[in-house]
Amino acid sequence: MIPFELVEPRSLAKAIALLDPDDTSVRPIAGGTALMLMMKANVFQPTRLISLRRIEKRFSRIQAEADGGVRIGALATLGELERAAAVKRKLPVVAETLRILSNVRVRNVATVGGNLAHGDPHMDLPPVLMALGAGVGIVGPAGKRTLAVEDLFAGYYETVLARNELIAELHIPAQGARRAAYLKCTTGSADDWPALGVAVSLDAEGQAIRSARLVVSAATEKAMRLKSAEAVLAGAEVDDGVLARAGEAAVEEAEVISDVRGSAAYKRELLRVYVARAVRKALATKTRGRRP
Amino acid sequence: MSAAPRTIRFTLNGAAVSASVAPHHNLVEMLQQQFSLFGARESCGQGLCGCCTVLVDGRAVSACLFLAVFVDGTQVVTIEHLGAPERLSDVQEAFIEAGGFQCGFCTPGFVLMTHQLLDEHPDPNDDQIRDYLVGNLCRCAAYPEIVEAVKIAARKRKADAAV
Repeated sequence: MIPFELVEPRSLAKAIALLDPDDTSVRPIAGGTALMLMMKANVFQPTRLISLRRIEKRFSRIQAEADGGVRIGALATLGELERAAAVKRKLPVVAETLRILSNVRVRNVATVGGNLAHGDPHMDLPPVLMALGAGVGIVGPAGKRTLAVEDLFAGYYETVLARNELIAELHIPAQGARRAAYLKCTTGSADDWPALGVAVSLDAEGQAIRSARLVVSAATEKAMRLKSAEAVLAGAEVDDGVLARAGEAAVEEAEVISDVRGSAAYKRELLRVYVARAVRKALATKTRGRRP
Repeated sequence: MSAAPRTIRFTLNGAAVSASVAPHHNLVEMLQQQFSLFGARESCGQGLCGCCTVLVDGRAVSACLFLAVFVDGTQVVTIEHLGAPERLSDVQEAFIEAGGFQCGFCTPGFVLMTHQLLDEHPDPNDDQIRDYLVGNLCRCAAYPEIVEAVKIAARKRKADAAV
């Protein structure tokens, strides 16, 4: 890697002040697992990195809220999220997804905030968070703002964050009786980046769906909700016909792209199949929470 | 200029040490160049193969994806700390017993990941073994023997704990 400056501020405010809104070669670094790959490949050549590792400890905390929601500091590692009792108990789909995401060593280092800010459409956690209706707290020079995770991504490795804004925390709301599932399909080795990810969260009684949130990732240039497929599922009693129509609507709506992991035509076929499988999997999941 | 080397202090294999490292150097480079520790080696360079596994504050990391300056103030443990030729760790003994290697290039990483696994799950099931070892590649494909070695090591620990 080429040499660069590294600054290690002790506070979030100082870190934000050190970021440069106009210079693309200045970036924050937390765990660094994703950034290191880009720097090793010379895809990213920083002049200065602002390390977030020494900022206030509260930005790594994971807190269960009384209503069943969970608040997660952006610097919590994926491994800490995976092991958190509140996540295992209240958000089993998150714990299960972390288990099939990368490997133990990367999860020990990569952070929740970095996972989101990287804007990589192949990542497994963002589509799940979108299906769960999660939001992020963002801090910049002008103060704080909140944003739904589904509004965070602007394109391929792009987010709506300004260069001097940082994700400070993630909030996953209480899921009540909603049931969720995430499935991915890898076309290389089992632990390769996925060709497709599908996350779904359902409010359902038996096989009768009241409302659905359905998200596609990896096959598209950014993770995105598929609202036409959600509309097919809402109010429907699930059977093969409904799932076929939902799959069809998903394929119509998603702008699937070809890459080394499969052609667009192939991934559209995967999407059709995986929408049905994800819905079936969510419906087969036992509810953990009580209906409010 | 903060691109220049800086002095960091940390605990390496039980001893307090300091090192002068530039921000762009990774942990493998520092361990090899400044401490002549070659057990962690950069192989894939992408965190996929596990050959560069090192424990930082008790947690396994891919040292090839870890900036060296980030170990400032931490406890670092490498494969060299686990045992000596005359006094192997229980996991190292189990790998020999099961024949859990051929060329041995990947073995330090597998041994360290197994230590981490058994520290956190003393009686691991097959799922847990695969979860901890999925990020370690053995090009000799000694996988069945490696899984057996993990089970032998777990039994050894249980027997030792019972004594």
